[in-house]
Amino acid sequence: MPTTVRRTAAAVAALTLLAACSPADSGGRTTLTIATFGEFGYAPLIAEYEKLHPDITVQNRVTDFDTHHKGLATQLATGRGAADVVAIEEQYIPQYRKAKDKFTDLASFGARDLERQWAPWKWAQGTDGDFVLGLGTDMGSLALCYRRDLFQAADLPTDRDEVAKLIPDWPAYAAVADRFTRKTPGVKFADSAGTVYTAMLNQSPENYFSQRDDSFIADTNPSVRTAFDLAGGIAAKGQTAAATTFTQAWNVAIKQGSFATVACPAWMLSQIKEAGGDANKGKWDVTTVPGKSGNQGGSFLTVPKQGSHQKEAYELARWLTAPEQEKKLFLSDGILPSEPSVYEDPQVVAHTDPYFGDAPTGKIFAASADRLRPNYRGLHDADVRPEFGRALGRIEDKTQNVDQAWAQAVQQARALLK
Amino acid sequence: MRTRFARFDRKVTPLLLVAPFFGLFAVFGAYPLLYTAWVSLHDWNLLEGGQGRLGLANYGELLADPHFYNALANTVSIFLLAAVPEFLLALGIAALLDRPLRAATWWRTGILLPNVVSVVAIGLVFGQLFSRDYGVVNEVLGWFGIAPVNWQASTWTSHLAVASMVLWRWTGYNALIYLAAMQAVPSDLYEAAELDGASRWRTFWSITVPGIRPAIAFTAVAGTVNGLQLFAEPQLFDAGGSGATGGNDRQFQTLVMYLYEKGFTQFNAGYAAALTWVMFVVCALFALVNYRLVRRFVRAA
Repeated sequence: MPTTVRRTAAAVAALTLLAACSPADSGGRTTLTIATFGEFGYAPLIAEYEKLHPDITVQNRVTDFDTHHKGLATQLATGRGAADVVAIEEQYIPQYRKAKDKFTDLASFGARDLERQWAPWKWAQGTDGDFVLGLGTDMGSLALCYRRDLFQAADLPTDRDEVAKLIPDWPAYAAVADRFTRKTPGVKFADSAGTVYTAMLNQSPENYFSQRDDSFIADTNPSVRTAFDLAGGIAAKGQTAAATTFTQAWNVAIKQGSFATVACPAWMLSQIKEAGGDANKGKWDVTTVPGKSGNQGGSFLTVPKQGSHQKEAYELARWLTAPEQEKKLFLSDGILPSEPSVYEDPQVVAHTDPYFGDAPTGKIFAASADRLRPNYRGLHDADVRPEFGRALGRIEDKTQNVDQAWAQAVQQARALLK
Repeated sequence: MRTRFARFDRKVTPLLLVAPFFGLFAVFGAYPLLYTAWVSLHDWNLLEGGQGRLGLANYGELLADPHFYNALANTVSIFLLAAVPEFLLALGIAALLDRPLRAATWWRTGILLPNVVSVVAIGLVFGQLFSRDYGVVNEVLGWFGIAPVNWQASTWTSHLAVASMVLWRWTGYNALIYLAAMQAVPSDLYEAAELDGASRWRTFWSITVPGIRPAIAFTAVAGTVNGLQLFAEPQLFDAGGSGATGGNDRQFQTLVMYLYEKGFTQFNAGYAAALTWVMFVVCALFALVNYRLVRRFVRAA
């Protein structure tokens, strides 16, 4: 009897151990998990990586943007559950850089030798002094996506070079919005005030926080107020569809053609395609963004310390962010790499997109990336940023005018930082 | 020997039998509760952990926080907008179902259906129904010449919309509980009332409702706790995404949404923990008040 008990206990213990190990090591193969959000286009690359490394299986966990970043915070806090390789979007990077003791210093695997692959500002975003937190994936250099058919209906030029000349900067954008609305009052000119505002704001080197000492400067920095007034003005005139990117309303608005322009980072093109479907093919076109360049979005691959295969995880991240793979991602999914050698590649520059009327997206985004000036993100950027977005939303809701919305945004941002 | 074992058995076995409950309660009930209390006394960042002891400072800050009172008022308002019609409707439906019906089981299962549907699905569907530009509700209002309402934009309209989701989801559930209780009301009381010539209405209020008082008290308490923990419906109703602020001016941010915003958007776990404990007290108070109200109201009837 007692031996049976002992045997059972041993078996249970062994099973528990097995259960604890099985997700990581099944049949001598190492399983790596990689957690991403939205569309990274990694599926074919992962298959290729597995073929190159027969001893490694890679599982891709994809969740939506918010769930991904909030989940990561919980996983790091509790010390378990994070994937071996985790993508972090640039607006969350300052927050996670503060908790860098939870991440592996990629420099310890020799990541610093790779520095020259990336645009210098991108490399700087993912590092903290000598500590290498993450390897850059894509970037969101900006263009302007517009509806050719709606421009025609409003007697505006439709050729992409002429549109670029018509809208060289944001004041011109607002003026064209007025012209557009006079001709076709039933259609909105922009998707949301927030998109216009963000695109404008990202063109200035500093926004809410000072680069010098990370102090709050939103209320004194003229670029913030200018962007807010212009975007708020468009909203107050009812020229936006009030549809936030990524939401259901935005998808419906794209499908129904409710708005004519959207400042689009490279990664947004595939979302427009998906929301618009075949019915809208050829109606959209891409041209230079007002103000010529800007960056919105772009991620990093990091390796949390809690993983049990950090070296292998780093190898995977390094391979996925290597120029050859980044180039494949651009050609297949239009995801713009943050590596100059790739966006200057002749094949990338020559790339056109049939969905967008054969627009030379490679040339447009590469030019935008070249002119790009990085902007500083404060430690509390992700806390403060939404307050201004919601303020613009209140103008779109018609519950406040521009000045009231501005005053409340500044006051609430200050209260948050207290 | 035998009797001593029997005595031991009689003493210890019952304890052993109930021990699993206390074990589970200690692990999943008491421990998180106490740990939350501990966290609430600290400056606690979700990522970086404890940053030093604060004492009751989190609570002090919370009690001076206008967003907290806004969330509390929203929660109570949505709760009342949903609960009052919910309980009356549930009573009515239960009374209808309590009569001899053809295909009674079909009806009874049918009214529970909304409760079985995933709350996420309900949120998404209602979010579409109440959408400003493409929503069915505005479409129907348009037939009567009413201009489209931006349901998310103002306090009252958003509260009505969220309350309608809660109402839809919980009415059938409550009705089934009332129905079960109604079937246990002794039938001789009804026969006596009929002999006395009481009307159907009078019978309902004087016999049925007092007869199911424990069920009403149960739903009042359970409904209060549920109502004050409202999260998924308003969260999914937020057209601006999932910032957990419940609209651009926090017009339908509930207490749990505020808790989520503090804890998981701003990573301020200490503050969120303090909010949890304040919510615990608020829930207890509301449940007590409701229980008292129900007792008095039903006794008076």
